[in-house]
Amino acid sequence: MKKQLRMIFVLFSFLIFCVGNLAYAQQARITGKVTDAATGEGIPGVSILISGTTRGVVTDLDGNYSIEASPSDILQISFIGYITVNEEVGNRTVIDVALAENIQALNEVVVVGYGTQEKKEITSAVTSIKSEDFNQGTVNDPTQLLQGKVAGLNIARPGGNPNSGFNVRLRGISSIGENASPLVVIDGVIGASLSTVDPNDIESMDVLKDGSAAAIYGTRGSAGVILVTTKKGRKGRSVVEFNSSVAVENVARTISVMDAEEYKSIPNSRDLGGSTNWLDEVTNTGLSFINNLSLGGGNESTSYRVSLNSRNVDGVGINSGFDQLNARLSLTQRALKDKATFTVNISNTKVDREFGNENSFRYAIISNPTLPVLDPNPQSPDFGGYSERDIFDWFNPVSIAEQNIADGRDNSLLASIRGEYNFTSKFTGALFYSTQRETEWRGSYSPKTAKFGGGFGRNGLATIVNNERLNDLFEATLNYYETFGKVGTAFLAGYSYQEFLNQGDFTQAGNFLTDAFTYNNIGAALDFANGLASVSSYANSNKLVAFFGRVNFNVEDTYLLSLSARYEGSTRFGANNKWGLFPAISAGVNIANLVDLSGVTSMKFRASYGRTGTQPGDSYLSLLRFGRQGNFFYNGQFVPSYGPVSNANPDLAWETKDEFNIGLDFVILNNKLDGAIDYYTRVTTGMILPINVPVPPNLFPTTQLNIGEMSNSGLEVMLNYRAIQNADFRWTTGVNFSTLKTNLRSLSAGDLSFGEVNYRSNFGSPGQNLTQLIRIQENGPLGQIWGPIQVGVSDDGSPIMKVINGTAEDENGNPVYCNCNDDRTQLGTAYPTLNFGFNNSFSYKNWDLNFFLRGSFGHYLINSYRGFYENTESTTVQNWNIVNTKYFDPNITKAEYNSTHVEKADFVVLDNATLGYNFNVQPGKAVGRIRAYVSVQNPFMFTGYTGVDPEVRYGDSESGNDPLAPGIERRATYFTTTITTLGLNLSF
Amino acid sequence: MKKLINIRYFLICLGMSYFASSCVDLEEEVFSAVTADNFFQTDEEFISALGQAYTSLGGLGNHSGLWSINEIASDEIVVSHKGGDWFDGGVLLQLHQHEFKSDNPFFQNSWNFLFGGINTCNRLIFSFETLDNPSSEAFIAELRALRALYYYWAMDAFGNVPIVTDFSDVEAPDTKSRQEVYDFILSELNEIIPLLPTAKDGTTYGRMTKWSALMVRMKLYLNAEVYTGTPQWAQAAADASEIINSGVYSLMPSYRNNFVINNSQSTENIFVYPYDKVFAGGFNWVMMTLHIVSQSTFNLTQQPWNGYQTVEEFYNSYVDPDKNPGVQGPVWKGLALEQSTGTIDGRLSNFLVGPQFRSDGTTLVDPGVEPTDPTGRNGDPNGPPLTFMPYLNEISPGGLRQAGARIAKYEFEMGGTNNMSNDFVIFRLSDAILSLAEAKFRLGETTEALALVNQIRARAGNLEPFSTLTEENLFEERGREMYVEMTRRQDLIRFKKYGEAWWPFEGMNRPKQVHSPGSYLELFPIPQPQLLANPKLQQNPGYN
Repeated sequence: MKKQLRMIFVLFSFLIFCVGNLAYAQQARITGKVTDAATGEGIPGVSILISGTTRGVVTDLDGNYSIEASPSDILQISFIGYITVNEEVGNRTVIDVALAENIQALNEVVVVGYGTQEKKEITSAVTSIKSEDFNQGTVNDPTQLLQGKVAGLNIARPGGNPNSGFNVRLRGISSIGENASPLVVIDGVIGASLSTVDPNDIESMDVLKDGSAAAIYGTRGSAGVILVTTKKGRKGRSVVEFNSSVAVENVARTISVMDAEEYKSIPNSRDLGGSTNWLDEVTNTGLSFINNLSLGGGNESTSYRVSLNSRNVDGVGINSGFDQLNARLSLTQRALKDKATFTVNISNTKVDREFGNENSFRYAIISNPTLPVLDPNPQSPDFGGYSERDIFDWFNPVSIAEQNIADGRDNSLLASIRGEYNFTSKFTGALFYSTQRETEWRGSYSPKTAKFGGGFGRNGLATIVNNERLNDLFEATLNYYETFGKVGTAFLAGYSYQEFLNQGDFTQAGNFLTDAFTYNNIGAALDFANGLASVSSYANSNKLVAFFGRVNFNVEDTYLLSLSARYEGSTRFGANNKWGLFPAISAGVNIANLVDLSGVTSMKFRASYGRTGTQPGDSYLSLLRFGRQGNFFYNGQFVPSYGPVSNANPDLAWETKDEFNIGLDFVILNNKLDGAIDYYTRVTTGMILPINVPVPPNLFPTTQLNIGEMSNSGLEVMLNYRAIQNADFRWTTGVNFSTLKTNLRSLSAGDLSFGEVNYRSNFGSPGQNLTQLIRIQENGPLGQIWGPIQVGVSDDGSPIMKVINGTAEDENGNPVYCNCNDDRTQLGTAYPTLNFGFNNSFSYKNWDLNFFLRGSFGHYLINSYRGFYENTESTTVQNWNIVNTKYFDPNITKAEYNSTHVEKADFVVLDNATLGYNFNVQPGKAVGRIRAYVSVQNPFMFTGYTGVDPEVRYGDSESGNDPLAPGIERRATYFTTTITTLGLNLSF
Repeated sequence: MKKLINIRYFLICLGMSYFASSCVDLEEEVFSAVTADNFFQTDEEFISALGQAYTSLGGLGNHSGLWSINEIASDEIVVSHKGGDWFDGGVLLQLHQHEFKSDNPFFQNSWNFLFGGINTCNRLIFSFETLDNPSSEAFIAELRALRALYYYWAMDAFGNVPIVTDFSDVEAPDTKSRQEVYDFILSELNEIIPLLPTAKDGTTYGRMTKWSALMVRMKLYLNAEVYTGTPQWAQAAADASEIINSGVYSLMPSYRNNFVINNSQSTENIFVYPYDKVFAGGFNWVMMTLHIVSQSTFNLTQQPWNGYQTVEEFYNSYVDPDKNPGVQGPVWKGLALEQSTGTIDGRLSNFLVGPQFRSDGTTLVDPGVEPTDPTGRNGDPNGPPLTFMPYLNEISPGGLRQAGARIAKYEFEMGGTNNMSNDFVIFRLSDAILSLAEAKFRLGETTEALALVNQIRARAGNLEPFSTLTEENLFEERGREMYVEMTRRQDLIRFKKYGEAWWPFEGMNRPKQVHSPGSYLELFPIPQPQLLANPKLQQNPGYN
């Protein structure tokens, strides 16, 4: 009873308090002036909003305002380019505010491994790109948001296939043995898949470029780290945002071939009666619709954001595109008297894909232009009405794309929960758990009438593939902050445990009674009865366990020091090398705080060293394993036989990369120009490569070894200049560029070697198998394109190759071309020596305009189409069409790869240009923002390259993206495209 | 409140210590492969392990391995550079022109095939030795016999190769001389031949028996002069006689039936590798030799590659009545514009020549054919209808697409895949008979030798017996009988014909480098990747 009384008393008091408050909360008119803290001048157009409400006003031309507010209200005073100020009204009636310019280059928050720092505190090479600086237009892949924006980060997708991803390389390549793509961390989930996040939900992307920044990620840091931070709900009223766009996609670049008339003029041509533009036949206009809806908000203890993103994309290829639906929830809840914070992020992406077939492009390019698409006199066998010819390596490209079905469905789920507890204001601990589950299903069917894809030969051929990838992460961290006099310190310690499991199966079977089932009833295939069906499955797992720590020292933002280490073990390492240590140190000093330099806000020199690793790309590489190796005829029947598929290497360890970086961050010219300059040099040792080993004594002819040494160095510059900053007109321009130099110092370990010189890749069929294209050379740069030099054409139409070393002689003792490596030489380099990005943003009143140019220089590409089909050899002319670029020489009648097929691939591309208009809306109205825009991507490309796409090729697409064989444009390259987007952004 | 926090700390510490014990464990968990820890535990697993020693032989029937280097370097087979096709960096031309280079990947493939097999034998011998199984002894003898076969092939092709017999030896081995390898194989065979099974039935089909081991030893003796400088004709004759007189094998009435799809019924085949399109793929001759459009003749599931062809002079040794007397009838010769008269040797089933048809009997047209030229110099003499002609215009670059008789020794299956189901013949009674004939001929027992050769000729069909036996007609008869059975290169060397120009190398970039008997070219170079992997290996003389 006593308790109840007390309760009533409390309630009563509370009521009185509230009523009192109400009585007190009388509205008063507040007036004031908003000025620029530096100049003292009034700022027009500043937004004055009562926090937590939709009520607000803007300042007039002189910066004056007037608003009704209660003493308990908080005025939020904000303007672009200035630091937002919150003023509690209290009993004041006049509130003047001086806004300080927001020098983003100093105060912006940068996400680093296991934490955040202000930009002025950063002592390593880290670049942060916020959503407002992302690439615009139709962007379906998060990495594309960064394309060209970060010096040293090269993002390329040769061709315009909507279903293919981007190749991302940081500072050239860090490894030639294992994965060279940067590690992706999404909201703390290490190794998360970018497919779980829609580009619209990304708040910022931070790139850890140097070894010291990445070392906290240990065995996965060598290729750099991209930290993705998703948008979160904010305290205050709920905000609904709706973005919608429609995009039209057209073919931009193909390769030039002859039309029917040109073709018919070539001797030996086969006039088949028609006139077909095959490139038109296999492409159409792609149409995409992208819609995003999000709702976010929060109060003192809870904040949330939910979003829904849909993308319906049709590529330019027949039957290519995808439909994607992504949903995301982000929730933050405070509890236990605000000492505990729980954060939950859940996202799911479902993608239905139609793959089309890149080979339809390959064969469209070489299709005889006088052949009709459909056979006017269909004969036996029936190819579904399409024209087919009994020739080598050609299939009707329209039939390829229209008859074959290649579908897929991907589902990616990522969920994480983080619980943080503040033991004291200086000491916090956190537990983090995440799980990611990605599934991929692929179903394809080639009908009985499809000559390409196996349907014709196999009487209908169905394939079903399933892959599943699981990734579970648990982490525990402790943070401690303390100030000792002038020295601020921050300590971090943590433990990380991560498990991966990959599983999948593959079924392929042919010989169907009917095409009606496609891939949906694979059991109906008669191949199961006669044993020709193939079925397989696999499973593999791996684990990573790590302990890590970091300590930062900050002396009044002037002297900065950071030390970190990660001690990490992986199941993938050999038994003798299970654990590795990855330390880092970085330091900086801000000169501007020590000496007074006019116009210089900040001038921070920094230097860093860090060691990172790369773990083996596959599990079990260190073990002696046996696998199924065919069958053995035993007592009249076949029994399965097992044999070795790998050698044991208990010493297998991580690849090690040691990187030094020196840099300069500056803000000068009275905050108008800011930038960063970095120079790095990195050495990678112990690269994991399969090396030929003697058999015997080994069981298997290759062993995965840590071998060799490689070095990279480069200069990176990023500049951002706010050229004009008027109330009506603003112009900001930014440029970044990077240089790269590689040297493959060694490919040996003890007695074992890859060979001082080694040749890779294969030009291919017809007739140019075993024609190697790339030289790997100890103490030489990577990516040396290799081959003979053509110096003329002989009477019989063969290219005459230059005699370089003269090791071969004819019967008269005269030196002749030896058709061997003695008479071949380096014809170009596959990697660019310079990459740049150049951005310009303008705004005038309600208009905004942005255009972004990107380019790469110094790299070469092997133009495969030309190497095979740009000649008048009778086989080429009779079977195929002729590639007809500016290099075409009708006198050449032999297809033989040489220097003329290696082209400079320098390019500059207008990646995107966007014009937007912001409609006037009154503060406080239901609609907070209306913006309409039109954007065009890749409308112009300036290049002398005659192939499909001059983008850098980091690996050979025909040999598993072999990173040792870059610089080859293969024949099945998807055509590039131009995309025009019309869009609308609304917020309520 | 203080107490509460302590409990919380305690729980966290407890949690951490749980992780500390279980979660720093970095053992790999293997799911879809097996390791030595979880294998070799049941009899079935042992048999499947034994099988690995044999499945290594599956590399015999495909492109670019041991069979390819032996045949293309001989006068039986050429792969001409046809327009844009089959140049492939010139490695095939180099093989045929005897410009062997150690970086030719065919040598590396062959080496891996041979030493992969040897190594598997060593590993299994080691496993069986350490295991006290009642059947171990028989398995070990069988594996040593199989290993001897691999070594014999290695010694024949590369000459000076390392000898490794102990699986537990982890030292990289060094090169042994051809004589040492020869001695090693001989001593192995002498030791194990008495231990091997002698039955010819389902249990020994596709397995090493006493008779296959005797074949290996017979071949060592037959080529002893080449291998060691000292001939061993009498021993060769003794081993051949033992096989022939055992009565285990008999000549099939039809030569062809040794090579049909279901050739496991052959009474003549001594050792085979049983291929099967489903269970044991890798026999790809159907792809390697047939023309692209031949797909429609045999309703194949895949398009063939139009590669391997027969050298015209070799083909002519069948139809030429002077070389091969017998019944005269219509045969295809030269440009195959029309049929001409020649010896209709029953073994012409070895070749596919003349006009080709779709499976429904209609004309088969090659849309990619060269322009028509009746002389065959600058174009195809027969025009677009696919006609395999014995004629070969040139080796490079403009080899005609339809030139050369194709290898049809093994029956092609209607509706077949790229993998043939015929069992690949490694040793055959005919070889023993002809080897005995040769040994006796060399020993001066010409009458008996002639009778043996005529036995083979009589079985071939439509042939007259030879009246006298000369080195020349013995050699040619051996060629006709043993076509593409991987004996020709060895025979050429033994008959001192390996360095002769076999066909007028018209149109080649360079004249044929004719070499004399005993040239270093009689051995292939040790593959460059092997030299890099094992610095103790020495390159064969003459190669740098």
